[in-house]
Amino acid sequence: MGSRKKADAARGDMMQGTLDMLVLQTLVLGPAHGYTIADSIQKRSDAVLQVEQGSLYPALHRLEDRGWIASFWGTSENNRRARYYRLTPAGRRQLHQESTRWEQIVAAIARVMEPAERS
Amino acid sequence: MSLRRRFRRAAWDRERAAEMETHIAHMADDLRGRGIEPNEAQRQARARFGNTTVVREEIYEMNSIRMFENFLRDARYAVRMLLRAPGFAITAVLTLAVAIAANAAVFSLVDSILLRPLPYPNPEHLAQPVAHVVTPRGSGTQEAIDGAMWEAIARHVTSAEAAVYSSWESGANLATGGQAYHVDQARVSADFFRVLGVAPAVGRSFSTEEDTPGGPNAVVLSHGLWQRAFGGDPAIIGQTVLVRGEGHLVVGIMPEGFRSFVDGDLWTALQASRTGQGGGTNYQALLRLEPGATWSAVSAELSNAYDSLGLPSSPNVSRTWGVVPLQESLTESTRETLYAMWAAVGLVLVIACVNLAGLLIARNRTRAKEIATRIALGSGRRAVVRQLLVECLVLAVAGAVLGVLLGQVVLDGLQGLAGDRYADWQNVALDWRVVALTFLVSFAASVAFGLLPALQATRVDVLQGLREGGSRGASAATGGWTRSALVIAEVALGVVLLVGAGLLTRTFLSLQSLDPGFDLTNIVTANASLEDSRYETAERTMALFDQSLERVRAVPGVESAAISLGLPYERILNLGFRPLDGEAVDGIALQRNFITNMTYVTPGYFETLRMPVRAGRAIDDRDRASGAPAAVVNEAFQKMYYPEAGAMGRRIRISGAEREIVGIVGDVQQGNPGWGDGSGPLRTTPIVYLPAAQTPAATMALVHTWFAPTWIVRTTAPVPGMDRALRDAVAAVDPLLPLAAVRGIDEVRAEASASERFMMVLAGLLAVASMLLAAIGIHGLISSAITERTREIGIRMALGSSAARAIRAATTPGLMLTLAGLVIGVLLARASVTYIESMLYGVESSDPATFAVVAGLLLAVAVIASLMPALRILKLDPAKTLRA
Repeated sequence: MGSRKKADAARGDMMQGTLDMLVLQTLVLGPAHGYTIADSIQKRSDAVLQVEQGSLYPALHRLEDRGWIASFWGTSENNRRARYYRLTPAGRRQLHQESTRWEQIVAAIARVMEPAERS
Repeated sequence: MSLRRRFRRAAWDRERAAEMETHIAHMADDLRGRGIEPNEAQRQARARFGNTTVVREEIYEMNSIRMFENFLRDARYAVRMLLRAPGFAITAVLTLAVAIAANAAVFSLVDSILLRPLPYPNPEHLAQPVAHVVTPRGSGTQEAIDGAMWEAIARHVTSAEAAVYSSWESGANLATGGQAYHVDQARVSADFFRVLGVAPAVGRSFSTEEDTPGGPNAVVLSHGLWQRAFGGDPAIIGQTVLVRGEGHLVVGIMPEGFRSFVDGDLWTALQASRTGQGGGTNYQALLRLEPGATWSAVSAELSNAYDSLGLPSSPNVSRTWGVVPLQESLTESTRETLYAMWAAVGLVLVIACVNLAGLLIARNRTRAKEIATRIALGSGRRAVVRQLLVECLVLAVAGAVLGVLLGQVVLDGLQGLAGDRYADWQNVALDWRVVALTFLVSFAASVAFGLLPALQATRVDVLQGLREGGSRGASAATGGWTRSALVIAEVALGVVLLVGAGLLTRTFLSLQSLDPGFDLTNIVTANASLEDSRYETAERTMALFDQSLERVRAVPGVESAAISLGLPYERILNLGFRPLDGEAVDGIALQRNFITNMTYVTPGYFETLRMPVRAGRAIDDRDRASGAPAAVVNEAFQKMYYPEAGAMGRRIRISGAEREIVGIVGDVQQGNPGWGDGSGPLRTTPIVYLPAAQTPAATMALVHTWFAPTWIVRTTAPVPGMDRALRDAVAAVDPLLPLAAVRGIDEVRAEASASERFMMVLAGLLAVASMLLAAIGIHGLISSAITERTREIGIRMALGSSAARAIRAATTPGLMLTLAGLVIGVLLARASVTYIESMLYGVESSDPATFAVVAGLLLAVAVIASLMPALRILKLDPAKTLRA
């Protein structure tokens, strides 16, 4: 358990969960391969969120392992053989849960931060 | 994580690598689109992606099976921890191994004899007819039939194929190429092998003609005899060999490994009839259900068959015919013993498990600090429980491996101990079924009994655990009741096993203490089969007896010698007789037949055995064929039939002649005669001794098909080489008459109570094992209680309490638990001895002495096991314990 625990800790549980949610959200629009997913997150966040390739692929693997996304080989817009991911019904439910939780956390953090701004 | 993915990790990895290459290519495509030169775009994309190997490694590890790999890690850790506590590990593994070994060995026997189907095709279609007989004096079953009933069965039973065999196995003489062999023979009808469903490997079975009385003689050989006597030469088929002194055509050889319940070295055709053997109930029938038929139809046909005999019926006696599955009827003699053994080793396993649980609780408590540390460091309770259970599994594997190895030793021991008494045990081996079950039991037992201690150990207050480290502070009550319950259970189960062993020991001792009625020292016996065409006339038989005895008596060291049909300690022939004068039993009129036992003897028999002659004279040289017909009876005979007036001078009709009772001799122990009151392997029973010379040739020929006469030799001192000398003396008279085993009379005696001795030894060993386990359990309980309370005891002693009082306080709980266990155990034992009641003789199943001795013994063990650790208190330095 040791080495994996350390890796998780370094990246932070919160970040990992967040990346999962972002990936699922991206796939709501339709199947995409790894590069498109990373690119799309980056673009939609106005380049604030830089997706580390080193995190993306383990995340995709993990999501697939849990049955939230499924993969298949296809041909990309550049005529390259690429592995595509699509959202599964379970993934859709998961996304709904996570975004609800996310909204709660954001609201909670906001409430905590507000008085600090006022004072 | 699927198992499939773990083992396809390499292929999976290649796919991931390809996927990431595509990613880099897409990135490079983008860069090129912004006008960057292709090579440079490629380089930048690769740099931006970073190290693909790291990502692949991470995914690779995600593909490993967590549980599996955790288990391996836990197992490695468990082995390390166990190696660090070798005392605990060895005790635990040995406890498991001993219990598992006993169970593996006994289960091998139970499995192959009782559970596994018989080695014949469709064994569930095989059965034997059985009559349930209910009389006012009791009920019973009878499987033996006579020739008339067999003929009726053959006529009336159409729903099953039927075959018949003689239930008597006896020795026979086989002569071939100048060599004489004493072989075991069995007699079966022509259809016997076909009904069983096994054909001879070479040649054929008996023809109908060969199976008809007076038909040609034929013999089927076993594979073993074929190899031994004929060198495995198939050309023996069609040749003639001498069996019982007559030429027999060898028609077939049974396959290797063929076993039946009338096993012999050879089979001859039964030639069933209503006369000779068939005149009495000496046959048994074998049935194979016809396709589509039902057993109830067969039962009805059997009833019809019996009714067709037109036998007089009594309104008091009801007889119902049915069938009993073949396996059930074949295992009749051994089943009870096996189930009793199975129950006993099962109890030992339970005790071992209870002990293991106790050991684990004690061990986990000494590890409280370690466990608390691990939980404090963030290891979940579940992970710690898992770790503790994995330790149990490691113990289970070690215990099972050692147990199976030991089991082989135990099985060998059981087979050696069982000897000829349970001949069908000899072919049993520990096979994979037993090994698989053993591992399963070991795993289940150690997990089931490891779970409770593990749950208990992890229910800790972390802070408390860390601070105290399990060695200081007042006694912790947690876990106390479980261990107490375990000790009570151990003691209670120990009582059950010990009482069983005690009663079986008393049974054996009571058999041993029976007065033999003769002098056992320096007597050697040997028998030879006279079921031989060369000994059909009385003259030839008597010539053999006289000449061989003359030669035996000439051997240096021989004091006297004689021949008889039966020996003390063996079962002898049942024969009817009719009193001709005097008062008969119960005032019943004369001229009625009574049953008694008969053996013929040569002059010198009573002198050789040194049996006391109570009245009249022994059988001597006067009792020639030409002399007045005489008989000698024993005291039991007189007591049963002439209790008032005495038997001397009475005239009885027995064995085809009117005879005068000329002498009364003392009683000797005989094997169960199969009739009369009471059971038990040995008893004194009424016997009529006839002079061999006055026994009619027809009687001799008939009884020699069942019993082999015995040469009995008394020497002045043990004579080395008596075996050889005896064989030579008989061979000098008839070189083609092989003697069977030469045995001392003490061996004959030991065989008579072999099963009782077997049960005694077995139950005794198991009881000792259970007592040891209980002692370990009590010792552990008191020992760890004292360890935990060292500080408390130290304080008390510093405050002026005496060591004696401290010791008393420390040992009392163990003794109270033992008492509780004793009470429960005695109740359990009273309830469970009924299962071995039928194996007990000469002792009541509720024998107070046995119960008292068992209770006293266990109490003594408990006192010792409690005192041993409690005496450590004497060495306590109060000052040190307070500072510790």
